[in-house]
Amino acid sequence: MAPQERKLLLELDDLSLSFRTKRNIFDHGMHHVLEGISLKLYQGETLGVIGRNGCGKSTLLRLMAGIIAPTGGEIRFYEGARSALLTLGLGFKKTLSGRDNALLAAMLQGATRREAESSLEDICAFAELGDSFEEPVSTYSAGMRARLGLATALLTNVEILLVDEVLSVGDAAFREKAQNALKDRISSNQTVVFVSHGDAQVRSLCDRCIWIHRGKIRSEGETAQVLADYRKWVKRRKRKRQAKLEG
Amino acid sequence: MPPLQYLRLIDVQARMALKADASKFLLGYLWWILEPLLYVLVFYVVFDLILDRRKADIIVFLMCGKFPFIWFARTVNQSSNSIVANVGLIGRVNVPKSLFPMAAVQANLYKQAVVFAFLIGFVLFRGYEPTLGWLWLLPIIAVQYILILACALAGAIAVVYIRDFSMAISLLITFLLFTSGIFWDVRDIGNPDLTELILLVNPLAFLLDAYREVLMYGGAPELEGLVRNALLFSALTLLMLAYLRRTSQSLALRALS
Repeated sequence: MAPQERKLLLELDDLSLSFRTKRNIFDHGMHHVLEGISLKLYQGETLGVIGRNGCGKSTLLRLMAGIIAPTGGEIRFYEGARSALLTLGLGFKKTLSGRDNALLAAMLQGATRREAESSLEDICAFAELGDSFEEPVSTYSAGMRARLGLATALLTNVEILLVDEVLSVGDAAFREKAQNALKDRISSNQTVVFVSHGDAQVRSLCDRCIWIHRGKIRSEGETAQVLADYRKWVKRRKRKRQAKLEG
Repeated sequence: MPPLQYLRLIDVQARMALKADASKFLLGYLWWILEPLLYVLVFYVVFDLILDRRKADIIVFLMCGKFPFIWFARTVNQSSNSIVANVGLIGRVNVPKSLFPMAAVQANLYKQAVVFAFLIGFVLFRGYEPTLGWLWLLPIIAVQYILILACALAGAIAVVYIRDFSMAISLLITFLLFTSGIFWDVRDIGNPDLTELILLVNPLAFLLDAYREVLMYGGAPELEGLVRNALLFSALTLLMLAYLRRTSQSLALRALS
């Protein structure tokens, strides 16, 4: 189905975010994080967002999640869609048990206490924690912590799921588990916006892609095309740098 | 977020924070009572044993001052830093920003309930007769709760905008420690006008005096002052809550940048 025939869930209209940077009382500068971003997100699609570090990808996701407000332009939600960031280990406290942390994180993500409590056993099973679920998180290995974080994060029940580099933590086994979980979500008609550095992940998960460069959309469209544009640019930049170093 | 769910979240946040805190210490939850008691002991040593300021039943007198004061001081200190301390969370989930100061207020309320229960027990143990007049404690505690709420929310907002307020608030609390009549009696100043003035402008001094009046002297608090403070700080609390609601996203940006 072409994207145009699907239900529109989210529209960004000429979005910009800038703020005064404050070095000290006397020195103010204006910092433009995003400028003139317009895009539409349709139900069931997976949109990839690529770009180098600091280009504004994470800020864009925060805007879409309603965590911060744009300083210009508008964000419109349709069909009662809600959005949230998929985050690992929300509000985790090291001295609390896995169970307590899971409860807290689930509620912070918007679950009622009853919903959170009834999902605890599933979380324990998915995270493969066994009896360690009752132990303080400070005793967990990095892998255990990542799995517990993912298990609770997956409870997030919103129409638009925003995923920021979640798949780049933990070991290979964890990354595979996380990617499979995300694939399950995507195949069940979940709308996803996915930020990543990894080409392979974007290629295998995303229908459509945007490339953000210095706060603006530099290229958008079919994933393969945008990735190719981006790669070309990265190569050219590398060559230029090398030439500068040699010359 | 629906109101009931929001209140549940505050409650769970508060309980978990208390649990996490207690698990750090060998004596755990015992510190809830130990800390205020040790403070009273320090004051007792300084003002009764060293300075030899003879005051009838100094221990209960100090407890009536210090216990409620610690409630105020600790809550306002913790709440003031609560939004900036949770910046990691604020950057990842769109929650009402009042959650953080409210959770700190709630956690300290649970602690204080135990401390007040201990205080009542101790006063009875010292041979004071419980009377119906002790019911005055309920509105006094309620007014102090509202006062704490207003200051906690105001402090949290102020620190988001200018971090330096965190220092100023600590200093202000120390100032209140000396000016609220904790180890001295507002009624003993010898200048009735000054006593009146302190009770009027310092709500903590008014409340500490009210606690003593009810528990130690079997009297009643001055109703007009109680109502005045209740109205004033309720209004301030509502104002702060409305402000936090309206500026939730810009506060997040502020805390993040």
